[in-house]
Amino acid sequence: MTTVMNVTRYHLVDRITVVALPWCILAAAFALDVVILVSAAATPGTPHPVGGIASIFVFVFAAGLATANRSLPFGLALGVSRRSYYLGTILLGVILAAADGLALAGLQAVERSTDGWGISMHFFQVPYILSGPWYLTWLTSSVVLGLLFVYGAWFGLVFRRWNLIGLAVFGTVQAAVVTAGALAVTWNHAWTSVGHFFTTLSAAGLTGVLAAVAIGLAAGGFAMIRRATV
Amino acid sequence: MTPTISVAGLTRRYRGQVALDDVTFDIEGPSITGLLGRNGMGKTTLMRIIAAQEFPTAGLVRVLGASPAENDAILRRMVFVREDQAFPDLKVGQILQVASWFHPNWSGELAEALLADFGLPLNRKVKKLSRGMRSAVGIIIGLAARAEVTLFDEPYAGLDAEARQVFYDRLLADYAEHPRTVLLSTHLIDEAAGLLERVVVMDRGRVMLDAAADDIRGSAVTVSGPAAAVTEFTAGRVIWDRRMIGGQESVVVAGAMDGPDRARARELGLSLAPLSLQQLVVHAAGRGPADLRERTSA
Repeated sequence: MTTVMNVTRYHLVDRITVVALPWCILAAAFALDVVILVSAAATPGTPHPVGGIASIFVFVFAAGLATANRSLPFGLALGVSRRSYYLGTILLGVILAAADGLALAGLQAVERSTDGWGISMHFFQVPYILSGPWYLTWLTSSVVLGLLFVYGAWFGLVFRRWNLIGLAVFGTVQAAVVTAGALAVTWNHAWTSVGHFFTTLSAAGLTGVLAAVAIGLAAGGFAMIRRATV
Repeated sequence: MTPTISVAGLTRRYRGQVALDDVTFDIEGPSITGLLGRNGMGKTTLMRIIAAQEFPTAGLVRVLGASPAENDAILRRMVFVREDQAFPDLKVGQILQVASWFHPNWSGELAEALLADFGLPLNRKVKKLSRGMRSAVGIIIGLAARAEVTLFDEPYAGLDAEARQVFYDRLLADYAEHPRTVLLSTHLIDEAAGLLERVVVMDRGRVMLDAAADDIRGSAVTVSGPAAAVTEFTAGRVIWDRRMIGGQESVVVAGAMDGPDRARARELGLSLAPLSLQQLVVHAAGRGPADLRERTSA
């Protein structure tokens, strides 16, 4: 366990990349959305959802990719098994997701109490998915952040093992699976039931589904690191 | 006693290319072993497999009695310093701090002494360092870790002769106080010769020679002088190499020279020069294993 936690500490030495940078980017997105909203002279009173919050999710994907790929060669040189390295990396993802998710929930509460920062801006409130009570916002955003982190880590490990070609194949296979799924749904005339599934699924239910996906992705990344060489 | 490092039948193929071909040897500790051979002869692959960074196609590796693959308990007791180590985007001080968390015998004192020896700036990013300075970071980790099994793969690329001497001196001094099993791959053979207790020579993925350094020192001699005298002196001996310049001949013969041999050489006006470790390795690499057996038994 100490070894696993030391791997997490190792990743946290570069705090600027994994902790500060996502928030700097989010702050920039926030400022940009404020400028756009104010200069567009948006009607006060009606909520204006802006998409800037997506930036932190994108960045966490990149952080997962970087920690799994870039830090691996020296990580294994430190006398750590791949298993411990991976667990320490995933632990970092879980801690970051929980902390960042909590911060997002807190900022959402501020946004609500200030009537959207005084300009009716819905930056931290996203219709359907991040619109419930603070603890659901915490839970859902943490799960999505965690999912993107492990997904990024998987990409990073594929790149380490099979380089750019592997990455292209990995991405293409996923696109093919999604396309095959969509075709299967079309041929079975099942789009209504798919739509029904999502409309009846609550945000909490969706969070559960996403958590299951995140665990699946984490397992996929583990399978990838088992035979990775440096 | 269980050998510290034991490899048996180790083979590694990459798409039809054989990097390691049935490599077998045991290393008992504490000791300093030189892993010698030209570039691309399998030394790095061998060390990567011992450090569990790479997997063998066939064969077995045991370190401290167990397989190192995915074995934290064993890996913790090893350190592996690679010539081409990729470092994360951190400062020198941070890299050393991280290394100290993972190596139970880490000596901060030794690390600081080495930092001063090499004149490394703690606050500089490792990526911004010169090649030699980056090598120095690896050397500091490898020595300060005081790991029971210490693997150095060409650790001093880009380092000047003075800094290399620092490495040899520090290694020997710390080894004397904290004995461990060191495997050092290098092609600066004569420079490192004084450190080595044993040499393993690799060529095209195979072990060509594996012997105690003392046994092979002076195991071949260059005899030079007038061609007729050389021919007379070397009659009946195993000859490895023969060179003729004008009337002067220079012949490499296997086997050590004893007192009467030396006296006879003097009489004939011949000069005798024992081959250096480096010259011996060059000869070893060019020969088959059968030839070597004949030599090491000589």
